[in-house]
Amino acid sequence: MTIRKQEENARRTLTLTGRLDTVTAPQLEAEIFDNAENITELVLDFRDLEYISSAGLRVLLAAQKRFAQTGGVTILDPNETVMEVFEMTGFADILTIERKAG
Amino acid sequence: MRVYLQLTVLALLPVLCSACFYQAERKTAFGRLPYGVKQALYGLVFGLVAVCNTEFGVPIDGAVVNVRDAAPLCAGLLFGAPAGILAGFIGGVERYFAVFWGAGAYTQLACSIATVLAGLFGSILRKFVFENKKPTWYYGLAVGLIMETLHMLMIFFTNVSDVRTAFGYVQTCTVPMLVSNSLSVMCALLIVSALGKEKHQKPREKRNISQTFQRWLLACILVAFCATGIFTYAMQTKVSESETDSLLSLNLEDVRQDISDASDENLLSITREVAALLEREPNADNARLAEIAEDMDVAEINVIDENGVIVKGTNPSFWNYDMASGEQSREFLTLLDGAREYVQSYQPTSSDASVWRKYAGVALSGGGFVQVGYDAAHFQEDIDRQVVGATRNRHVGESGSLIICNEDQIIVSDRGGGEGLSLSEIGLQADAMSVPEGVRFSAEVHGTPSYCMYVTGEGYRIIAVLPQSEAVFTRDMSVYILVFMEVLIFAALFLLIYVLIKRLIVDNIRKINRSLAKITGGNLNEVVDVRSNAEFASLSDDINSTVTTLKRYIAEASARIDRELEYAKVIQYAALPQVFPPYPDRTELDIYASMDAAKEVGGDFYDFFLLGEDRLAFLIADVSGKGIPAAMFMMTSKTLIKGLAEAGHTPDEILTLANAELYKNNDAGMFVTAWLGILNLKTGALEYANAGHNPPLVRRNGRFDFLKGKGGFVLAGLENTQYKKNTLDLQPGDGIFLYTDGVTEAEDKAEHLYGSERLKALLQANSDDLARVLCEKVRADVDAFAGGAPQFDDITTLYLRFLKRKEDGHAGTNTGCNDRKY
Repeated sequence: MTIRKQEENARRTLTLTGRLDTVTAPQLEAEIFDNAENITELVLDFRDLEYISSAGLRVLLAAQKRFAQTGGVTILDPNETVMEVFEMTGFADILTIERKAG
Repeated sequence: MRVYLQLTVLALLPVLCSACFYQAERKTAFGRLPYGVKQALYGLVFGLVAVCNTEFGVPIDGAVVNVRDAAPLCAGLLFGAPAGILAGFIGGVERYFAVFWGAGAYTQLACSIATVLAGLFGSILRKFVFENKKPTWYYGLAVGLIMETLHMLMIFFTNVSDVRTAFGYVQTCTVPMLVSNSLSVMCALLIVSALGKEKHQKPREKRNISQTFQRWLLACILVAFCATGIFTYAMQTKVSESETDSLLSLNLEDVRQDISDASDENLLSITREVAALLEREPNADNARLAEIAEDMDVAEINVIDENGVIVKGTNPSFWNYDMASGEQSREFLTLLDGAREYVQSYQPTSSDASVWRKYAGVALSGGGFVQVGYDAAHFQEDIDRQVVGATRNRHVGESGSLIICNEDQIIVSDRGGGEGLSLSEIGLQADAMSVPEGVRFSAEVHGTPSYCMYVTGEGYRIIAVLPQSEAVFTRDMSVYILVFMEVLIFAALFLLIYVLIKRLIVDNIRKINRSLAKITGGNLNEVVDVRSNAEFASLSDDINSTVTTLKRYIAEASARIDRELEYAKVIQYAALPQVFPPYPDRTELDIYASMDAAKEVGGDFYDFFLLGEDRLAFLIADVSGKGIPAAMFMMTSKTLIKGLAEAGHTPDEILTLANAELYKNNDAGMFVTAWLGILNLKTGALEYANAGHNPPLVRRNGRFDFLKGKGGFVLAGLENTQYKKNTLDLQPGDGIFLYTDGVTEAEDKAEHLYGSERLKALLQANSDDLARVLCEKVRADVDAFAGGAPQFDDITTLYLRFLKRKEDGHAGTNTGCNDRKY
């Protein structure tokens, strides 16, 4: 998995490509939480994310808890597989998910 | 002012080019050109900048100052070796031929070579010292300084036969060229680093070894540098002073000799004439002598007899004076002992010390001699022209001269055109000249600060004058060359230390670190083998033996951990219902479940248990994560849910309460997805709740379908999750298949997922099988699909078949044919 990081004021945007599983989840965890003292809003671009496992969900849950009071976590364009996982596990209800119209 | 402006523009040219190229390379299509083309372009443009400097150099005091060397340096340092070498070559060759259209021929060779060297120097540094990274600005400053120092030395070395002119160029050019070239290179590096915001050299929190060495070296060399500089300066000052003294006094002595020779000859010839007259007129009386003295324009004539007594003369007071009675006059008695002629220098007379006179004597054939004396005023008129002749064309050193004045301090001879003036009018003040004869003093003669010395002779004062610049030339040149050489030596030492430390220590440490990284990365079979010197050989041995010991400990520890994990697995499995059929006397149901952990201990679990006689609770769950932590969380969850179920809660209540409890003690941030159902065996009514788990497949009327419906959030994720209760009526023959994502997300080697549709199809195809058979078929199909790809997740399945409604009053005691098979 590769992660591209952008920062704009207090918003951190991470663009993920590949698979978010037990092996790669710690990498995402580091990218989200390292040097994040002044970050209030987290945007995760999942357009190119192929798969998410429960280890990945755990990182999202931790992120949601961390940013809940400020700007929260926004997920952009998850694919069908990932969206199914979100819906099945109830994560769709606690995360802000933005999908491209059409 | 214009000069500085022009120099600034020239110095900014390489900076501008560097900035433009750097931006173009990164931001435009230029960056995508082939390497060779880019290098050629860099070389060409920086070469042209060097040419510009040749053509538009700034003339200062006859020398031409320019910033030519900065361009090839920048090209080499910033853009690559070929660019640097090409730029240096273009600049150097153009400079060589530029003499045909006006450039200075004197420094032709030095400047050409220096420009080519600048390109080479920049390129070599980039490749071997800066490892193709852009150096930090202060390296640019140093590189510029060193290059220009080399350039100045080249001017000396290419003009060894004429160091004086060479030194003139060097003195004029050193400061402006050193400053402009080094600042230019420095600015180029600064601007490029500002544009790129790159960290050119890795920022190190701690200084590396070679930096520490270089710092100490710099400190030591600076001290040595200052000490040798001061010592050389002082010694060379002494040398030049003593050389000046001897040069001045030698010249003075020569001239005094010339003058005294001239005046001696002048007076002797007069005396010979007087003697010849007296030979002819032996009886000339005093009056006749006075007449002769008048004719000859001399001050006095005395005739001395063979006894050394003045018998007659022009001055009556000297008559009968015994020549032996005075020191000055006694010298003439030599004429009575056979000498023919004797002449004295201009000096005070024996009879009256206030009277200065020059005497000569010639022996007379009849015994005795005649002595003639005259005043300076008289003989100087006679010999002034000879004096001028003796001094006018004489040089002291290269550009010094001799000045002669008479007793009235009026200058008689001066190449500088001061004849007729007084000494003070050309700068030789009386107080400056209050030193004794033959002692050096300083004065500004004709506006030039000079070292001077004087002697007197024959009534003249002879002053030798040597411009100070010439006197200290050797010293200044020595100091310049010393400083230049020290700069180069320091640069060379700096490089040497860098290279030595890199080769002897840093490279070896890197090798060891690479091996250590492999070892830390888990390859304990890596052997460290750096044997280039004793210290590293011993270090390698130590590391190897440490690793060997470590390997042994790890093997022992891992064997122990393996055993413990094995126990954990056994305990975990023991917690799950393992005996099938679990209720051999219950004909209403057929249930089977299995769990295969990916690692020794996993996070999946299933459970089922009877609540009283009529109800069966069954669940499947998946703890996020794996290993011991997941297993422990699983045990907690399992116990909690079972406890809540046995307390009589409905599935939604069980999950809601379990969530609140699990959330409390969840520092690790784990969560559990779970599906829990309670089936009423009498009615077939199924109550269930879902905490984020995969939807089960329900078999109704012979068809399997996913039990869709919105589930709740995962367990232990959020504090106050409320779960909903769902209901479903099962008819005899229906069933429900629970699984975890280890099934649907199993992967083949091409990373394709097994998928829920494949699962549904498999179940459908085998829908009449017994629970155990179906579960085993699923497992086998997943294995076949994976085709040897590693199993990432626990694979857990549970299949419950509802065979018939439980009848009231008596439990079914006959074992069905289905059950018998277990």
